[in-house]
Amino acid sequence: MDRIECQWCKAQNEPERTSCTTCGAPLDKRNLVSDSGWTEAPRLRDMTEFRFSNSTCQIEGEIVPVAELALAQGDSVFFEHHVMLWKEPQVPLSALNVPGGARRMIGGMPHIMSVAHGPGRVALSKDATGEVVVLPIHPSHEIDVREHAFLAGTHSLNYSFVRIKGLANVLHGGSGMYMDRFITGGEQGLLLLHGYGNVFQKTLQPGEKILLEPGGFLYKDSSVQMNTVQQRFKTGMLGTHTMYLAEMTGPGRVGVQSMYVHHGTE
Amino acid sequence: MSTPAYTCPYCRLPSDGTGTTCPNCGAPTDVRVRVSKSGWAEQPPIKDMARIRFSRSTCQISGMYVPVAEMQLDPADSVYFSHHTLLHAEPSVRLDMMKMAGGWNRMLAGMPLLMMTAGGPGHVAVSADHPGETFAVPLPANHAIDVVEHRFLLATSNVGYQWENSGIWYVTRNGDDQEYHYPLGRTMDRFFAQGGPGLLLLHGPGNTFIRDLREGERILVQPGGLIWKDRSVRMYLHFEFPRGQYWFSSARWQAKSIWLVLQGPGRVAIQSVFEQPEMVGGVINSSGATTQYW
Repeated sequence: MDRIECQWCKAQNEPERTSCTTCGAPLDKRNLVSDSGWTEAPRLRDMTEFRFSNSTCQIEGEIVPVAELALAQGDSVFFEHHVMLWKEPQVPLSALNVPGGARRMIGGMPHIMSVAHGPGRVALSKDATGEVVVLPIHPSHEIDVREHAFLAGTHSLNYSFVRIKGLANVLHGGSGMYMDRFITGGEQGLLLLHGYGNVFQKTLQPGEKILLEPGGFLYKDSSVQMNTVQQRFKTGMLGTHTMYLAEMTGPGRVGVQSMYVHHGTE
Repeated sequence: MSTPAYTCPYCRLPSDGTGTTCPNCGAPTDVRVRVSKSGWAEQPPIKDMARIRFSRSTCQISGMYVPVAEMQLDPADSVYFSHHTLLHAEPSVRLDMMKMAGGWNRMLAGMPLLMMTAGGPGHVAVSADHPGETFAVPLPANHAIDVVEHRFLLATSNVGYQWENSGIWYVTRNGDDQEYHYPLGRTMDRFFAQGGPGLLLLHGPGNTFIRDLREGERILVQPGGLIWKDRSVRMYLHFEFPRGQYWFSSARWQAKSIWLVLQGPGRVAIQSVFEQPEMVGGVINSSGATTQYW
């Protein structure tokens, strides 16, 4: 019997499923794609459940969603410690060994990454209106994420951070000094992000460019080049204003969020 | 000659009624108009990915929490918007600044200093940065509306833009402190369609409700709840002092409710999220106002 391919993560599903077992996206609804090619991140149905390794994740709520993880023995997830909403008492917590503590402090990144180990349940939530974006990361794949946008990663993901290159990008890019980088080894990993407002994704062809408000940037494949470009405008008696936009060059996926802090006008 | 099959109850413009959304304002055509018993009609959210036509271009609204308005611009068309709402643009889109007078006054009034224009061909997208509803107000030729500041998202280039003093203010005194308050903001935006119909996109936090006021009909609303009104709608302040059993509970020295009176004829729109006007001390002066001691 034919299997159903998830339009969001491309995983194969049993024909009777109504949501993807890998990312939770509804299988009985078509992806919403705008005329210019931006795909709206799938709106996960309340209480949608999906699997990773031997564990499950259930998304609850729609305005400020909660990700509830039922961790199996041997599985674990890591997250910024302040996003933890509740946990069962028997779930052990540890701190992730993250290199570059001083640099992380200077860069405004979280100093402590907590790890919750199975068996047991733990629930995570950001404190703002938005969407949980579920990104299954295939083996040997790399993805860069705006700092503080990450909600949780599974144990098969390696976490590091990369310095944003170029002084103009750091000062005017609106993404801070560093981006989180997630890399998978031999096993597929699962990354949960929180996008403020609504989240949209576009796949850029090699050499294709798009200009983004820097504050709207959420994630990108590491193959996508990010560069801050200046736009100078004459404004009559007020003189000249400079606006900074993030120029993304393909190939690869780019994710944006619709609620953001505007950066970069002088 | 064929007659239009459908007139949108929200924008009042005719269309053939074949789609599930109004091509002029994006409001769904397949839902029943929801009107409260007092006469407020709930503006339905624009359906995800609904398209609105204007001139030779289209506007597509996507997302539900913080909607994005994505414009597909014809080479002959252009739009303008406050620069901080730009989300993404194709490199082919011509971005520029709109020339505006009164920069110093705009800065003092807390209004956007920079208004950006985007000309076709290509796609450009804008988004307000807070949850709420984005809705379209198609303006017939030579029609004008007054919009509370910071509610404007985007307009087509044939829509003229002016800003005027709101004329709504009061002064309080608390001890030796005297303070001016502008519950609608110091200024209001005025948009008017020139030469032909224009399109205006607004963003209101929470839900949006609209209503037609008859000639002389009045309604009291929270000043922070107003989104837009027809020019013909008059507005002024109203202070209410509640009756109390004791002198300290009656609070005769300090109005407990500050209302904005909207008086018809004309259309008004309000939002369900608002801030209460600040009130410390007694009102010693104000723009035109009425008072009620209960």
